[in-house]
Amino acid sequence: MKVLVTVKPVADPNTPPAAWIASQEGKPTNDVNFVANYFDLIAVEQAIRLKDIGVDDICIVSITGDDMMAQVRSAIAMGANRAIIVDPEGKHLGWQQIAAVLKHVVEKEQPAFVLMGKQATDDDASQVGSMLAGMLGWPQATFVSEMTFSDDKARVRVGRETDEGVEVLDVKLPAVITCDLRLNEPRYATLPNLIKSKKAPVERLKFSELGIAADAKVTVAGHALPAGRTGECRMVKDAAELVSVLREMKAVD
Amino acid sequence: MNILVVAEVQLGRLKPANLAAVRMAQDLAAKSGGSLSIALIGSGVGDLVADANKYGVSACYTIDDQRFAHYTAGSFADAIVALVKDKGFTAVIGGEATTARDIFPRIAAGLDAGMCKGICAIADVDGGWGYQRPVFSGMALRTECIHTPIHVLTVDPTAVGEPDAGAAGEVIAFSPPGAADDAVTFVELRRAESARPDLAVAERVVGAGRGIKSADYLDTIGTLADKLGAAIGSTRAVVDAGWLPNEFQIGQTGKAIAPKLYIAIGISGAVQHAAGIRGAKTIVAINKDAEAPIFKIADVGVVGDLFDVVPGLIEQL
Ligand SMILES: Cc1cc2nc3c(=O)[nH]c(=O)nc-3n(C[C@H](O)[C@H](O)[C@H](O)COP(=O)(O)OP(=O)(O)OC[C@H]3O[C@@H](n4cnc5c(N)ncnc54)[C@H](O)[C@@H]3O)c2cc1C
Ligand SMILES: Nc1ncnc2c1ncn2[C@@H]1O[C@H](COP(=O)(O)O)[C@@H](O)[C@H]1O
Repeated sequence: MKVLVTVKPVADPNTPPAAWIASQEGKPTNDVNFVANYFDLIAVEQAIRLKDIGVDDICIVSITGDDMMAQVRSAIAMGANRAIIVDPEGKHLGWQQIAAVLKHVVEKEQPAFVLMGKQATDDDASQVGSMLAGMLGWPQATFVSEMTFSDDKARVRVGRETDEGVEVLDVKLPAVITCDLRLNEPRYATLPNLIKSKKAPVERLKFSELGIAADAKVTVAGHALPAGRTGECRMVKDAAELVSVLREMKAVD
Repeated sequence: MNILVVAEVQLGRLKPANLAAVRMAQDLAAKSGGSLSIALIGSGVGDLVADANKYGVSACYTIDDQRFAHYTAGSFADAIVALVKDKGFTAVIGGEATTARDIFPRIAAGLDAGMCKGICAIADVDGGWGYQRPVFSGMALRTECIHTPIHVLTVDPTAVGEPDAGAAGEVIAFSPPGAADDAVTFVELRRAESARPDLAVAERVVGAGRGIKSADYLDTIGTLADKLGAAIGSTRAVVDAGWLPNEFQIGQTGKAIAPKLYIAIGISGAVQHAAGIRGAKTIVAINKDAEAPIFKIADVGVVGDLFDVVPGLIEQL
């Protein structure tokens, strides 16, 4: 059974915000370390665990430049079989364009289902999974933290994390499934596997060759740092003083 | 723009996040000129019309059908897309909650429209306007511009206030084409019932972190919460440990909250948790580690053992 897993290289979440903004705006900075999006690693881990039910072809799909190959390799080295890398050719692609690229790959590869992260931790957009499902006309299961397949592998039962609790759905395959934090704990790629991953077949495509609209529907006009919170934290020594300060602030009765 | 607010219904009620969507829609209507309408979708939503239709909208559309008794992204998105196309709306707005997060990108795909997620403000940009939203765990704000005739938006409920009240609009039933979604079947909702206020909108929240050491201490946390009339929330660490269900998680991957008072107990203040509490008016931190990052965003702090401070608080309040 073939499964596609999407991986986006993103800035390490511990990057100082100012350095991140500089990197987003294309200014050179050495203060940003890139990693594979954590939610995508959960998706890769899930695919690997599904070997038990017959998943034998795990293909990583990433729309990214050559400079991010190390991040993609780290995902392959967890236990994927191969990768398809689509070069954006220096363009900042919008979410619809990313989803359109993925649709192109899905139609070519015809996987049993697509596993994705529920959001990219840089853009925090959480758009691409639902968009891809809509474009394909496939069912979607987003924010999934539990997953079991029917015996005939025609359906998957998922638990989705919602504001109200865990929503359990029975979903017909093929489907787009986006992974939430509690689905699993991604493994680390071992050094031997990292070395081995260099031999994994990588197919390379170029964005401009795919016949997708060249202009993004949404563009970035700029970034700013949010206004800080009040600033100083007022330190108090114990519960009694805390209560009197909170009463003074009228935060408690 | 001709704006449609899609009101989210959960457990037979209108979700509080809808109010933020209406507020932002009113601001966008003022900025761009044009009309404002609201849509309700589900089965038996007629009872909710009076509550939804009071913000000076020109029309309140109801998509009320057995087909929509259970939410599925495919069927709901198709219905909204059909309504938008039929009535010629140019903006679709929802409150940022888990259903909107699930469905709005699918609506945007169906309309071939650009979308901005979780916006907090409308910002002037050369020759027009853009939408500002938190990115990178809320550590940065970004302004995005949409270049399609239709704009699809979700609104961060912690960032905007209440909508203006106004007259009710004409109630119009809309019946989208299409059959029920047979690709997705609802099985159950596993939900922890609680008599405490709803975390998403509570005025006071007591947050429990890994520092509480075990689920047993949640009884004491609950006593404090009840003294304050507060909801309980938590970090990912507490949910991962199985001490509380996932809907209690606050942060980048949980709920964003904006209470008047947030008391962080035994919480380190990781960026992913901080992302969910930036909207709080007053943050109190109780942590034995003076270097914990939570003190960088807190307004009032106690460096001390929570097992002393929390009982002390309960006694004093
Ligand atoms: C992709 C991703 C998304 C994430 N999303 C979220 C999210 O949405 N929400 C979230 O919360 N986390 C999220 N996390 C996890 C986050 O990074 C932190 O690991 C988590 O918030 C830590 O929880 P904590 O503060 O309870 O635990 P810890 O970081 O372990 O902190 C415990 C604190 O308790 C203090 N303490 C211990 N004992 C006592 C005592 N007796 N008295 C007083 N203080 C004491 C310690 O000093 C420490 O500061 C995410 C992580 C990733 C990778
Ligand atoms: N450039 C990309 N290449 C591959 N996958 C991507 C890319 N951008 C987004 N995705 C996938 O879409 C998911 C949601 O991303 P987003 O909608 O940007 O938050 C991510 O977790 C990835 O799996």
